[in-house]
Order: sequence, then structure tokens, then C-alpha cells
Amino acid sequence: MDEQPQQDWLDARLREGASYIDDAGFTAQVIQKLPAAHRPRSLRGVILLSITILASIITYVASDGGRFLIRVATQLASMPILFVCLAAVCCALVMTAIGAGAALSNIRENG
Amino acid sequence: MPLNDADLVARVLVDDDHHAFAELVRNHQSPVRGLLRQLTRNDFALADDLAQETFLRAYKHIRSFRGEAKFSTWLYRIAYNCFREDARKRKELVGIDETQLEAEQAPATVDPALRLDLMRALQLLPLHERSAILLCCQNGLSHDEAARVLDIPLGTVKTNVLRGREKLKKMLTGWEPA
Repeated sequence: MDEQPQQDWLDARLREGASYIDDAGFTAQVIQKLPAAHRPRSLRGVILLSITILASIITYVASDGGRFLIRVATQLASMPILFVCLAAVCCALVMTAIGAGAALSNIRENG
Repeated sequence: MPLNDADLVARVLVDDDHHAFAELVRNHQSPVRGLLRQLTRNDFALADDLAQETFLRAYKHIRSFRGEAKFSTWLYRIAYNCFREDARKRKELVGIDETQLEAEQAPATVDPALRLDLMRALQLLPLHERSAILLCCQNGLSHDEAARVLDIPLGTVKTNVLRGREKLKKMLTGWEPA
């Protein structure tokens, strides 16, 4: 007998042998064991934005209409330029470190 | 319109959508459970436990599915790894040797049903040949895909399929069409 038809016959019988297995509650069992769903990202964004707006309003009201900003700006203007530059560099370094930490944690989380 | 695997995976990734993942499980449970039943030599309870573990791992690591291979191929790989880990734990990851094969061959030929004979013959193959035959001939994976699932070279898959087929043919001699 030829090799190819023999091979086709065997493959066909093997495929026939793989009959459909009824779900019978299998999917439900798997879903039950999944960890609780995270909040969707869009919802997380809305929550974050709302908190930011609320915090800004509270700060504005509590600081007498934001007058402290004018005071701080005036103080900064009267400071030596070297001190202002150093403060800016320090702020940039702190922000970079926080950003790098967040990026690393995200990479770890996403494998 | 039913969503395809890529759309369902995207929903799981973006919204952590359990319904989308349930759809993926429903679509793939039969071939995954079937493969594991064959690998575990028809230990249905063990096969279903491993299938559950397969889908839970798939959910946990779904971010590592890059879409380069078919979702089913990726699932088969996880399923095969689950099976191997379990077999290693049970110290059963040893192929059946030829003497055992001959010893178990006799009752298989007594059974008149071809399907039963075929399934029994499959179970008598050593694990590496059985896995290659199941993936390539029964589940329709290409040799390349099977090599990825089994994490072995392409040439080895081809050899295992060829040898497995030869042994199956020998065991099913009486059933072949004239």
C-alpha cells in the first residue's frame, strides 16, 4: 500500500478519535478560581482625576484663594539665582527617581 | 458576531474582562482537555485538574501572549508544561519501553473497535512520540508549531512524528484499508 494514503488514513482516524468534550461546568469552575477583576483602567482614571480636582479645590479654598502662591513666587524672586537653580535641579532629580521607580515597577508587573 | 481570540485577549488585557476570558476557555477547553487526557493516559480527573491549571496560568500570564503564535498553540504549550511539571512531581516522565509496549499490545488487538484500538495504541507510544503525534496529527499543528509547544528542535519533532506513525501503523495493521 502507498505511504501517503496510509498516512492520511491514520491522521483521519486520529482526528476522528478526538471527539468534542462537553464543557459540563468546566468553564464555570475556571472562572470561579480567577482572582477578582481589577477596576477597569478608564474607571481608575476617572477616580484619579476626581481626587486631583477635589484636592485642588480644597487647597485653593484653604489657602485663601491661592495667595500663598504669590507669596512663594515673591520669595523665590528675592532669592539668589544659584539657590533657585539648585532647588530646580534637586526637584528634577527627585521627579526622575520617582518616574524611574514607577517604570521599573510597571515592567516587573507586566513581566 | 462572535469575537475572535485576538479580540477576546485584548478585552482581558485592557478591561480584565472575565466574560471574555470565559469565552476563550469555552472555545478551547475541549482540545486542551483532550490533549491532556491523552497525555495522562486517560486519567480524566488529573487531566481536568491540569486543564484548569493551564487556563489559570494562561490568565495570569496573558500579558506574555504576544500574538506571534496562535492562541491555541500558546495554550498547548502551557498545558504541556503543566503536564510535565506534574509528571516530574510524580516521577512518571519516563517513556514506555519496548518490552512494556509489546506486553500491553496483546489486549489492544483483541478489542474490535478501531477507535478504542487507536487510543490504546496511542497510549502505548513513548511520551515524546505521543505528544508529537497528538499535536501534529490529531490537533492539526504544523511541525514548527509543535516544536514551539514541546520546546524541542524542529527535526526532533519530525523524527518523533515519523517514528510514532510507524509504530501506530504496526499496531493497527489489521485495520488499514486494503
